[in-house]
Parts: sequence; structure tokens; C-alpha cells
Amino acid sequence: MAGVQVSSLSRSFGAHKALDDVSIDFADGGFYALLGPSGSGKTTLLRQIAGFDFPDSGRIAIGGESVERVPVEKRRIGMVFQNYALFPNMSVADNVAFGLSVRGEPKATIASEVQRALDLVQLGKLGGRRPHQLSGGQRQRVALARAIVTKPRVLLLDEPLGALDKALRVDMQIELKRIQREIGITTIFVTHDQEEALTMSDRIGILRDGRLVQEGPPEDIYDSPKSEFAATFLGDANILRGETTGTGIRLPDGTAIAAGAGATLAAGAKASCAVRPERIRIAADSGGADQANGNVLRGQVSKRIFAGNNSTYFVERDGQTLKVIVQNTGIERLAEGQEVVLRWSPESTVLIAAN
Amino acid sequence: MATTRILEWLGRLYIWLLLAFLYLPIVIMALMSFNVSPFYQLPFEWTTEWYASLWQNDQLISATWNSIEIAIITTIICVVLGSAASLALFRYEFRGKKFLQALLFPPIAIPWLITGTAMLIFFFGVGIGRGLFAILLGHVALALPYVIVVVSARLQTFAPELEEAARSLGANQWQVTSRVTLPWIMPGVIAGGLFAFAVSFDQFVVSYFLSTPGQTTLPVEIYAAIRKGFTPEINAVSTIIIVVSMALMLLTARFFKFGGEK
Amino acid sequence: MAGQVATGSRSGLRSALPLLLPAYLWLTVAIFLPLSAMVFFSFMTELPLAGKVWAFTLDNYATFFSERLYLTLLLASLRLGLEVTLWCVVIGYPAAYVLAKVLKGRSREAIFLLVILPFWSNGLVRIFSWAMVLREGGILDTALNAVLPFKINIDLMYSYPAVIIGLVHSYVPYMVLTCYLTLQAIDDSLIEAGRSLGASRLQMLRRVIIPLSMPGLVAGAALIFVPVVGSFMEPRILGGRTGTFYGTVIEDQFVAVFNWPLGAALSFILLAVVLVILALASPVLRRAA
Repeated sequence: MAGVQVSSLSRSFGAHKALDDVSIDFADGGFYALLGPSGSGKTTLLRQIAGFDFPDSGRIAIGGESVERVPVEKRRIGMVFQNYALFPNMSVADNVAFGLSVRGEPKATIASEVQRALDLVQLGKLGGRRPHQLSGGQRQRVALARAIVTKPRVLLLDEPLGALDKALRVDMQIELKRIQREIGITTIFVTHDQEEALTMSDRIGILRDGRLVQEGPPEDIYDSPKSEFAATFLGDANILRGETTGTGIRLPDGTAIAAGAGATLAAGAKASCAVRPERIRIAADSGGADQANGNVLRGQVSKRIFAGNNSTYFVERDGQTLKVIVQNTGIERLAEGQEVVLRWSPESTVLIAAN
Repeated sequence: MATTRILEWLGRLYIWLLLAFLYLPIVIMALMSFNVSPFYQLPFEWTTEWYASLWQNDQLISATWNSIEIAIITTIICVVLGSAASLALFRYEFRGKKFLQALLFPPIAIPWLITGTAMLIFFFGVGIGRGLFAILLGHVALALPYVIVVVSARLQTFAPELEEAARSLGANQWQVTSRVTLPWIMPGVIAGGLFAFAVSFDQFVVSYFLSTPGQTTLPVEIYAAIRKGFTPEINAVSTIIIVVSMALMLLTARFFKFGGEK
Repeated sequence: MAGQVATGSRSGLRSALPLLLPAYLWLTVAIFLPLSAMVFFSFMTELPLAGKVWAFTLDNYATFFSERLYLTLLLASLRLGLEVTLWCVVIGYPAAYVLAKVLKGRSREAIFLLVILPFWSNGLVRIFSWAMVLREGGILDTALNAVLPFKINIDLMYSYPAVIIGLVHSYVPYMVLTCYLTLQAIDDSLIEAGRSLGASRLQMLRRVIIPLSMPGLVAGAALIFVPVVGSFMEPRILGGRTGTFYGTVIEDQFVAVFNWPLGAALSFILLAVVLVILALASPVLRRAA
């Protein structure tokens, strides 16, 4: 088991800069997600850590040891591929045994280790089957068993759950976390699914166009995004744009928005405020006076989506559509076209510098 | 709908006519090898004397052995060299790759007359001269592109992630090739090998130019015999050679779908 | 495998080289060097044997242009190639169509194999088998005489038609193969769409199917035309005295007359013609690839 340090990693393919000065410290034993849209460089970064490709500049260290010029077969990593990459001509047991057998481990050791790994992923009885006889979820678990049986220092997963259907995916997420906790291995997985990253990882690294946009625990990024991209990529956010005042921003129409968290910026600079949809209270506009504290905006409901235990309201205000999510606790339902008042606290508002 | 049925029926008839056109001469030739008359005259009287007399024909026998030996050696060399080249073209990207792939076409596309005579000239100038070794050189060069094409086609169905997965598990290049790649491409390799054998065994033109008396192959001997005059002995050896070739090709078809369907 | 996550072009060549070298080295020694040598020799008066004097000359090429015989024979060979190719198209394309569109399933596979099989067997033997059929007193003669009320003497051997028949027999499976591959790739729903728009069978054939089959036709034509132009074995066996073509003349230079430089020059001229034809056909072929 070891941590991984990536320092100032850059890699270009022709004119395209796939990785631009990326630095991340993956602590030993942690569960990390690399999150981003396609083309963001997250898979490139994973393959650099694995050793399938070498960086143009920068350093990669596994367990303190520099490996940026070491080929993959010597890095002692374990990797799970998007399509599992199980060897079709071998049984499940032989697949799992592969890493041990190319190392020349004795047959008895191999047999017991393979059985242990299969038991760990709850496929103990399927050693004799062939990959094509297994379901998607089972193949996924064989791929996992194969990767960890050699006791690698790092476990790398490339969109491991992408090919599974929703219910199976949720089950596998729980499985993966359980196994990872049990063996305590540093795990880095790549995904474009932000919900997956939120639920599974200890820390998330958001990548965009080859750059690391933000890195930290899921709650930190969610509550304190440092850029509009981070705010809107991880979860939903309402973005209000204007100029900084001492306490927040002033919208183009003059309304003041108070922000309780976020960046410290000089007054008069261009900036944004981000508010999560679930932090806004929405009520019919009865025309009464505003209260002193809190942020207030008025608008008109353009659409309402009923989703069982919650409802989403889209509110038009000054040419912008704001999104509000409320739990359906029996409070009055608002209709489309209705004039409404939106209220939320400054503590729920994050100040972000303009991109 | 009636027109469709008629047209389909006509189509099937046409195919059978074509098959008759393709096979009747061969069948007749084979039949004549079992006929007593040395001048191919009917009525038909069964005999195997022409096959028996083949055994007395030392020239033919030695030419046959030459053909078989050369074909076997050609197959082994082509399979090893061709599979290696196919693997390299599949695994790696590099500048000039397209050019190298294009280079495989001239041996197939250029008429064997030109290649054969060119080989004759060059081998003569270089000191290799004619004979069985020269013939082997030629056969391997002619069969190699076919083997590369066949094995490469099989490699198209091989997922590259499998090699990556093997490497991520610690296997070095040799282990990856022998334990993961080779098992998968084995049908293509076998098909390529059978191809190479057939190309070498049936090869006439290049063998013709590179032969010298005493160092010939079976097709060259048959040609010489035909130029002297038609005898049922020629029918006999021709029947044998065609049966062998077709059997080889049927075997190849088991391993490689010519129709392109998986 | 290529693309954004390639393993790097520099290391690619270094790792690929040991695997590529043996095969390509062999091809260089056995094919590319000989072809170059042939060009080189074609400019000589004599073979550089010990004791012989040789010089560089354009005479061999001049001979081609000065003596009408060679040009005539080249044109005869080109004409032979054209005729054989056309017959192969006429006979082979309908067969490919039936195979690709009419037959289905296992019978299609089996019959396809049957059509292709002769092509992969010994060409010399197949030509010889035609001699059995075409000669006087041969099967064709005997069969027709048995059927027809009058005595007829079919002696097709040693004639131009015999050469054509033999060559078509040898090469038509090639055309069937290439056309079949192309036709098979044409989606049936294209044809259904056209019919639903009111097109007749003939119109579909002319306006959709044949244009889409062009790559297969051109590929087959190129792969038939080129060898036929250089053929000498088939003309010699089936053509007898009328079987003199460009290929047989080249063969003579090496086997009978021993004027290798002239043979090399004539060969090179043929190669140039062949390359020009392939170059003309390659745009269509590349679109197919």
C-alpha cells in the first residue's frame, strides 16, 4: 500500500494539451475520484499513473519512488478496465491467477490466493467458468479480483461501472467501497458521473481541459466551489453574476446579494454568486414588505416538475432561469405563471471569482 | 411476387451452371486418369495403371518431394515472420507505418512473370543462382504478404485492452504475447500457414524461372511433361495435386472466413 | 489503439523494429532488390558474366519501339486482358449477386466456398483440364457429336478462344469474390427503401446497386487484368502457335533466347503499364477500403 504523488504533470499529443501542469497528492489508503467531462484528461492522467504512457514533464511517485519512466509491468499497480478486459481463452480462476503466475509464484500459493480473492468479491464458486458465461456485474467483480490478488500498491479503475445498469451500479458502488475499506488500498477511479463521485469517494479531483479545477472532499467542493465550472459540474447551482461589493455582489439591476462564504475579492471586480437549489425557500408573492436579513429575489414560475418526494421549480427573473428544489412536505403547491418570492441566507451563498 | 420467385429460381440455376463450368473440366480430367486408353479415347475402361506408373517416374517423385519440402519450410518461415510483422503493425504506431503496409501490395499485385524473371536476374547476379534454395527464397517472399493479411485480419478482432490488462498485471512483452495474444490469433495463424503452404505448393511461374534440371518442383515438371505431349500419367498426377490443394483450402476455410463474416 | 492515448511514436518504432525487420528484410532481398536489379540490367548489352564485355545501352528499349512485333504483342496482350476481364465481369457479377442477395445461410456459405475453391488450386492443372475438354476427340467434341445429328468437328485447342476460355475459367472466381464482398456489404434496407419509393428492379440495379458495387468490380478487374496481361503458361498450353503474347516473348528471352537484358527491358515496360493501370484504379479502390 502506498500513496501516489503527481507533480506538475504535463502531456501533449501533437497540438492538443491533454494534461496541463496537474498536481495531486493521493494519500495512502484513500478512495479518490477523478471527475470531469469527456476530453478533460482524467483518463489520460489515470493511464499516466498506470504507466501506459509517459509524461512530457513532471513527476509521478508511488510510495515515494519516482516511476515516471518505469513501464507499467514493473509498477505493481492493479487496474480495472472499462470493458473489464478479461482473457476470453482462460477460466475465471486462470484470469485471476494471471498476475501471480507471470511472477512465477508456486501453484499452491496461487490457488489459495485466487480463492481468497474470489471469496472477497463473492464469486467463490465460479472459478471454473469462462468470462462469456458471466453477467456484466460478475465480470466486473472478476476484473476486480484479478487486479487486487497481486497485492498492488495502487488500484486504478477506468469508469468501472459505466457499462452496468442503474440498480447494479448502486450495488457495485457499495461493494467497491466495502472491499476497498477491507484491504485498505489507495484507490483512484475515473468517472464522468458526479453522483458516483459524490457518494463513493473520500476526495474528488475535478479536471477540465487538462487542468485540475478543484480538489478536496466532496462536501467541501459541494459547499465551497471555487469556480463556476466546479459549482455547476458537481451538483446543480444557480449562478448570479455582477460586481463585488464589500459583502457580496451587486446585480446589473442594482439588487444586492450577500455572500457568507467563498473568495475574498477586491471591491468592484467581476464576480459570481452560487446558490444550491435546495437552499432557496420559495413562496407565493403576497406583495408584502421584505425582511431585513437574507437574500431576496422575485420572479415568475415558468415550469414545475413533480418528482414524488420533491418538486423542482424553474423561476424566471430578469431574463435568467433560477432553479429551486423543495421537499414536498405538504406546503402549498405553486402553479406555473405564479408570482413568487425566493429567499435564502447569505451562509448558503458562495462568492466566486469570474472565470 | 411471382417475378421474384422466377428470378430467384433463374439465379439459382445460373449458379449451378457456373459451378458446372468451373468443375466439369476438372472432373473430366480426373476421370480420364482412370481410363485405359493412352489417347483419351472412349469407351471408358477403368484402370489405375497410370497412377502405378507414377511411382516409376523418378523425376516426378523427386520433384514432388521438393515441392512438399519447400512448402513446409516456406510455411514455417512465413508463419513466424508474418505473425511477428502483423503483431508489430497491430501494436505500435509509428511514422512510416502506412508506407510499410503499402509495401505488402507489390508482391501480390505485380504479375509473377515480372517478379519471377526479376528474381532470376538478381539471384544470378548475386551468386545465389537457380535451384531449390532460390525457389525457397521466392516462395517465402510471395506467400508472406498473404500470411500478414490473414493474421492482421484476425488481430482486428482482438481487443487491445487485453494486452494492456496483462501488462498491468506485471507480464512482460513475451508473456503478454505468448499467453494472451497468441492463443487468440491462433486460428488466423493456422489459416495463414495453410495459405502459405498452398501458395508454395501450387506456385508455378516463379518456380519455373528459378528451376534447373534436377532441382524442380512438381508444377514445373508437370508443365514440362505437358509441353512434350498429353499422357494420362499427367492426368493422374494432376488429379492428385488438385485434390490435395482443394483439401488444404477446405481446411483453411474452417479457420478463416473468406466471405468476411465472423 | 491509436489516437490520444498512443504509447508514443518514438518508442513505437524501436519496439516494432525487431518484429518487422525479418519479414521486410526478406521482402527486400527477394522482391524489391530483384525488381531494381531488373531495371538496372535492362540498360545493359550483356550479362556481366566473367569474360564478357558489357556496356550501358538504351538498345533494349529501342528494340521495343523499333520492331513492331513487340508493340503488336503488347497490344495483343492488353486486348486479351480486356476481353478476359469483360467476360469475367459478365459471368462473375451475376453469380456474385445471386450469392450475396438470393442465397442465404448455410447454403450460401457452402456454395461460396465451392465457387472459390478451384481458384485456390493449381492453375496449371486447371488449364490442362481444359485441354481435355477442348481438343479434337475430346469431351466437348464427343458429347456434341453424340447429341447432334450431323458430324461436327470441334477443335478449339490451339486457338485464341481456347486461351480466353481457359483464362476466364481460372480467374472468374476472383471477380465473384470481390463483387460478393462488396455486394454483401450493401444493406438490404437500401433496396427496400428504393422499391418503396416506386423504383423497379431494373432501376434499382442500374441506379443504386451497380454504382455501389463499383469498388468490387474495379478491384476484381484490376486483379484479373494485371496477371492476364503477363500470362504465358495458359497461351502456350491452350494457344499453341496462335498463343504468342507479350508474356510468352518475355519468357523466351529467359528460357530460350537467353537475351536477359532484353527480357528485363520488356518486363519493365510491362511493369510500367501495370503500375499505370493500378494507379488509375486506386482512387476507386481506396474508397472501398
